[in-house]
Amino acid sequence: MANFNIDSKKARTYDAIVIGSGISGGWSAKELTEKGLKTLVLERGRDVQHIKDYPTTNMMPWEFEHRERLPKEIVDANPIAASCYNFKESSAHFFAKDNEHPYIQEKPFDWIRGYQVGGKSLLWARQTQRWSKYDFEGPARDGFAVEWPIGYDDIAPWYSHVEKFAGITGNKDGIDTLPDGEFLVPHDLNCVEKYFKEQVAKQYKDRHIIIGRAAHITDPQQIHLDQGRAKCQHRTICERGCPFGGYFSSNASTIPWAMKTGNMTLRPHSVVHSIIYDEKKQKASGVRVIDANTKQMMEFYADIIFLNAAALNSNLVLLNSISNRFPNGLGNDSGVLGKYVAFHNYRATVSGEYEGFLDSTTDGRRPNSGYIPRFRNVYKQETDFLRGYAAGFGANRNTYNDRSGLGESLKAGLAETKYGNWSVGSHMMGETIPKESNYVALDKSEKDPFGMPKLRISVGYDDNDEKMVKDYMEQVSEMFTQAGFKNVRSNDNHRKPGNDIHEMGGVRMGKDPKTSLLNKWNQLHLCKNVFVTDGASMTSTSTQNPSLTYMALSARAVDYAVKQMKAKNL
Amino acid sequence: MERRVALKSMAVAMGAMAGLPSWASGWSKSVVAKGGLLSADQSKNLTMIVETIIPKTDTPGAGELGVGDFVQKMVKDCYDSKAQAGLSSGISNIDEQSVQRFGKSYADASKEQRLQLLQDIEKGSDAAQKAFFSMVKNLTIQGYMTSEYVMTNITHYEMIPARYHGCVPVKKG
Repeated sequence: MANFNIDSKKARTYDAIVIGSGISGGWSAKELTEKGLKTLVLERGRDVQHIKDYPTTNMMPWEFEHRERLPKEIVDANPIAASCYNFKESSAHFFAKDNEHPYIQEKPFDWIRGYQVGGKSLLWARQTQRWSKYDFEGPARDGFAVEWPIGYDDIAPWYSHVEKFAGITGNKDGIDTLPDGEFLVPHDLNCVEKYFKEQVAKQYKDRHIIIGRAAHITDPQQIHLDQGRAKCQHRTICERGCPFGGYFSSNASTIPWAMKTGNMTLRPHSVVHSIIYDEKKQKASGVRVIDANTKQMMEFYADIIFLNAAALNSNLVLLNSISNRFPNGLGNDSGVLGKYVAFHNYRATVSGEYEGFLDSTTDGRRPNSGYIPRFRNVYKQETDFLRGYAAGFGANRNTYNDRSGLGESLKAGLAETKYGNWSVGSHMMGETIPKESNYVALDKSEKDPFGMPKLRISVGYDDNDEKMVKDYMEQVSEMFTQAGFKNVRSNDNHRKPGNDIHEMGGVRMGKDPKTSLLNKWNQLHLCKNVFVTDGASMTSTSTQNPSLTYMALSARAVDYAVKQMKAKNL
Repeated sequence: MERRVALKSMAVAMGAMAGLPSWASGWSKSVVAKGGLLSADQSKNLTMIVETIIPKTDTPGAGELGVGDFVQKMVKDCYDSKAQAGLSSGISNIDEQSVQRFGKSYADASKEQRLQLLQDIEKGSDAAQKAFFSMVKNLTIQGYMTSEYVMTNITHYEMIPARYHGCVPVKKG
């Protein structure tokens, strides 16, 4: 019996454990296994294997019985999931159901979750803009949150490292506020987008219109073919999972790559309860897992642990990791854990029409759009609010059919495609300021169906956000009007925080253990063999879609961790 | 190499299409109650209505393309109870009007009479009947335009465009 226990414990012992298999967990797994570490990857949801588990990926539009709309009963029962633009008949199975995964909204917050192998990497918008030095310098210059312990130069080589493997399309624009990366052939800007780019360049010296940098393979390199991935086919139904592997997801890329090393064990249906702290060794020894099917608790052990559960769940796991040494959550002597959560302000849009280029249109489809890098308060403070916003920008040639009348005349009208004006649109992506009062915490009594404490989320907008919404609407409306666009309209959709799906922070990086949880290597200041490399680690949010930065932080932290292990420092 | 990988991927994906696993269909099939919203007669009349809105010419009409069933399914699964009641009473109302005006049920009325009746509703002043008809017309257009026949033979939907050109001349005619 004793021997059996020893063997059993041995069988549950690895060199490394990765908690989560989304964008950042996939990268941690890839890098750890490539460096030869026997790695256990824990995923709370089911397995989703590339291609095999994309059941809707090749369905034609008419094969969806409600043409992508979801039944009212489902929408009514899942107001949180249904608030996401990507929640539809073809993709609903990649979203967590509201009632199966409850949490407490102290303030309204849409917590959009993808509980399966690959996480939200199947559903993401695939925009991959680098941060610039101005973004990392923000908190120190403007005196909010804490200073970032790293700068652009620390992360730049790791951006290159992940870009080459993931496959990023983009144009080398030479803009110092949005550094160029390792780009594959860029997508086209269309005629009206190019026209707007020229108009804006004439009017404003610091404002640029560029094609987005996005995780799509436009020009496959050997490293992509080696992953079994092919050129993006412009289907623009990415949220179903891509049988070509045309866009980057953990499922198409990092997870099978890690599997191929022979060093990865993937365990789906594994809800991580907590990280085990060994009081004698003064470090983490493993994790406690609730098997999602049997609800039984199990333990797994490893020398190092990468926490990649997605921002708020990584907070939850640390807050729930209670020991004599850490009664308030692992590594949380400072009391900062769970606090300074921030997100991206996506509330406002500006739309308009353009009456030029009426003899031109576009051909095919584009899984990308134009992008306006942040231009407010970049070099110095110039407005009555802190920081700024980036914006998406796109133009489309409107087409329509004559829907008037009934009978044969209606049928004839429907058979003929007519061309209208071009429509133009933009949406804001605003930086929000991390504050102590925007926090997550464990509820003291209520539990979720897995027996985990429910997460209380208390995250809201503030006056800075209101001013930024107003400024975005004014500035982009002015840019549209000066370009000659007509019917320019701005709109504040008042969407809830969280609906941007860019929640960050709570386990922030910093220089001082008294005011931060993680050091410059994403390593817990007070528990050195635990690394957090997802959105939870973010000191501030800047404006860029964050996934590329999580990938780079993960690869960089693994490199450091493995070097430290080899030097016997961990 | 690239093409070979893609084709292999496609082949595997095609195999996966045969049936949706339970986790994928769990969102809709098990949740939404089976059975129709309308009686057999009402269903038949709805098919007559959608066929009148978009009739058979040298190409199939909405009735033949199954758009009646699509309209009923959408209203049953995706609309509120008020819209559902409106669909049922709206169809009955049309049948009654047909008897009053032409002495024949809607199903037995002539093609011209069926069209005349719908045109009068669309231009008329009965708000409830107009709301009903607007819903049915919009869903009929949606069901027709997203039918396999129309997307394949008329609008030529491309599942895999494999390109984006940002500025091309508008095709004439």
